[in-house]
Amino acid sequence: MQSIPSPSAPTLTRLADALRRAIGAENVLTARSDLMVYECDGFVIEKNSPDIVVFPRSTADVVKIVKLCNADGVPFVPRGAGTSLAGGCLPIGGGVMIVLMRLNRILEINYRDRYALVEPGVVNVHLTNALKGSGYHYAPDPSSQGACTIGGNVATNSGGPHTLKYGVTVNHVLGIEAVMADGTVIQVGGPAEDPLGLDLVGAMVGSEGTLGVVTKVWVKLTRNPQGWRTMLAIFESCDDATQAISEIIGAGIVPAALEMMDQGILVAIEAAFSFGFPLDAQAILLIEVDGLDAGLDQQRDQIVELCKKCKAREVRLAKDEKERLKLWKCRKQAFGAIGRLSPSYCTQDGVVPRTQLPHIQRKITEISAKYDIKIVNVFHAGDGNIHPILLFDERDPAQVERVLHASNEILDACLACGGSVTGEHGIGVEKIHFMEKMFSPDDLQAMDNLRKAFNPTGRLSPMKMLPTAGGCGMEQKHPGRRAAL
Amino acid sequence: MPITPSNSAAVLAAVQQARAQNSPLQPIGGGTSLNFGLQSNAAVQQVSLAQLNRIVDYPARDMTITVEAGITMQRLTATLAKEGQRLPVDVPQGDRATIGGVIATNWNGYRRFGQGQLRDFVIGIEAVDGNGLLFHGGGRVVKNVAGYDFCKLLTGSFGTLGIITQVTLKVRPLPERSAWLACNVSDAKKAEAMLAALQQSAVTPAAIELVSGSAWQKQPALAELNLTPNGFALLVLLEGTTTEVLWMKDQLRREWREAGIVNPFMQDGCGEPWPAVQEFSADLDSPLTVQASVTPSGVLPFVAACRLRDPACSVLAHAGNGSVFVRFAKFPEKGLSELLMGDLQPAAAAHHGHVVILNAPPGSAITHRSVWGGEAPLAQMSAVKKKFDPLNLLNRGRFVYV
Repeated sequence: MQSIPSPSAPTLTRLADALRRAIGAENVLTARSDLMVYECDGFVIEKNSPDIVVFPRSTADVVKIVKLCNADGVPFVPRGAGTSLAGGCLPIGGGVMIVLMRLNRILEINYRDRYALVEPGVVNVHLTNALKGSGYHYAPDPSSQGACTIGGNVATNSGGPHTLKYGVTVNHVLGIEAVMADGTVIQVGGPAEDPLGLDLVGAMVGSEGTLGVVTKVWVKLTRNPQGWRTMLAIFESCDDATQAISEIIGAGIVPAALEMMDQGILVAIEAAFSFGFPLDAQAILLIEVDGLDAGLDQQRDQIVELCKKCKAREVRLAKDEKERLKLWKCRKQAFGAIGRLSPSYCTQDGVVPRTQLPHIQRKITEISAKYDIKIVNVFHAGDGNIHPILLFDERDPAQVERVLHASNEILDACLACGGSVTGEHGIGVEKIHFMEKMFSPDDLQAMDNLRKAFNPTGRLSPMKMLPTAGGCGMEQKHPGRRAAL
Repeated sequence: MPITPSNSAAVLAAVQQARAQNSPLQPIGGGTSLNFGLQSNAAVQQVSLAQLNRIVDYPARDMTITVEAGITMQRLTATLAKEGQRLPVDVPQGDRATIGGVIATNWNGYRRFGQGQLRDFVIGIEAVDGNGLLFHGGGRVVKNVAGYDFCKLLTGSFGTLGIITQVTLKVRPLPERSAWLACNVSDAKKAEAMLAALQQSAVTPAAIELVSGSAWQKQPALAELNLTPNGFALLVLLEGTTTEVLWMKDQLRREWREAGIVNPFMQDGCGEPWPAVQEFSADLDSPLTVQASVTPSGVLPFVAACRLRDPACSVLAHAGNGSVFVRFAKFPEKGLSELLMGDLQPAAAAHHGHVVILNAPPGSAITHRSVWGGEAPLAQMSAVKKKFDPLNLLNRGRFVYV
């Protein structure tokens, strides 16, 4: 394990001056009040402020920043919009935070070869907006797509509801330009498929900012489907709903999206959006099939029949595009509605084989009762990717303690039935302690070897993802509101 | 004699022994890609994965399967078909080719256009690296971002980072129906226009194949097209439910009629010429077979460059993806390196791509640079290699490293 000493005050002052000279004073923040914005991302349980925040405007700026950090031995961590739910952007040990939001240009859109070249700070939905009317879209659609960036999506290999049919971010990234931990610039992949040599694109996507700072991304464009059928199946019990999911997948149907929401979350969504969800239903499946119009009614009928077989009380069809979009708005903004239910919440992210959904759903109910923590559910059911949301009050340390235990127990239950502790949010700092449960010491050694091939000093994104990630001697310099752990 | 381990632990033991003796190893599956890239050295100790051929777990309703690396593609396909499922990756010589070898060489068949690349289907992997670590990546669930993605790193790594011993794959349902539509396209300009139009078509093909040359003129299934030596045929595979396939056939015919194609040729099912499409690159009658990976718009320019050198060459392109296979009719007079460095690598590089050799006569003089001369961060790849195989034991000297 490597230990990275926390930078001293004189070092930081000198570095800040050098950074101002290198990339312009207007692109460097050092005031305590400015830095507080960057002390956490969507994972709010741990907080720590960076010492310096920089906003590069070009690849060359990133190179200068990385070289200056290396010269002073100061750790650095890249950040997009900060929507990570696993603490991927937490600046452990302080140091320099490289915020890529000003690298936000769409550099090229090529329809003949079906790709776009974008900078990492481009907001996910901005790319899809830029493609409107072309018949193409960018397929990965995380629920935070109105805020999160493509660079952040690349770092965490983000998913989203429609990844069931279309695949996650890595399936849509053709190439990357990145600044390595030592300041060299490399391009892996590019506009063409099957690049020469090792698939470093595949290795870097989902590496949570530990292998390089992404400065350009070539993404695939996907044809828009000709049509959609969007359904809402209403169930009297969660068991029936999860059984229906298993039946649909088992029947060989690949919906574009298959999402489940339980009663707890429906109440909040209904209060926020007044869609007309039946509040007495125990679970709702939001099911969308897309593709050729010619085949959609048949798929729809098959799904309706399977839902009915699993005792669905009712299956409603979105009658037009407006209603469909409203349904998706409800689903994607579900997290925003949770504020109505409790002052704080913790979203978990686990994966189970799809046939194990009824089992894991029952486990979650048991765990909720055991720890007296209310848990609501809204998740990507078709992938077996669960998102139990634990509701609590951050101000009550006893509740926080119970939330952490309950979270761990849910994830242990996912592992026990052959699953994973994260489907799309990442390991970050939140789940480091699960890596040893999921992987053998040899697996982790191999991962550490890969990291060292890219990031030998460990100065880039220290203490992320791997329990062996170094920095054990580091101390939190600004404990701030680092609560609960 | 190859070493023939029958489980992962025995593969690990073989690597440990190789480490102790500092003697290189060549992992081998069905032996169908031994001429891929730089040719293998016959003197190197082989480790055959043929006995690692078990189906470890097949929870069909989860649509995943875990198998050992030495299982043949034919057996894997038959196993999945019994449950109405498939791995939509079409591989030549499936009776010999193994899933481990297919992954190590990142082989992608014609259905990649509609179904995605091989790398999209590998969700879990186990391998033994040159350090003697038996390691895993991924898992057995279809969505998983825990840890570095060794599934991607090892796909296409040519067995140089680790000997793949076991994999978990995501699988898909078999389509209810398939059919194909073919037409004769007089020249390259027309072919490019039709390929570009297919990108905007209302139909969603499973495969878009562009073929030309004597191998296809002789193909009985295409006899009706009367292919000329310089002409092309466009073959489009349609898959889906019966309703979808019938609609697509009508629609594509309409679109082609508007483009001036009078008599498209069509047939139900996946009979000829699809086996010929699948086996095209494995034909050993040709003295030289290469594969180019370029952008889709680079397909026809690359074919033109090949025809300039050998007007009698035969071509198969997965044209929607920019993957082009060329079987030359004669071996280049000035040698392989001159052909690659002089013409083919630059022609591919002009369209963001590169060329690899799939088959050449034994003993052909080729250099590392002519085979792996494309634009790529070779130093970074070499840094990875050094971490996974510091003694350079695995497939020494055959891959891109510098």
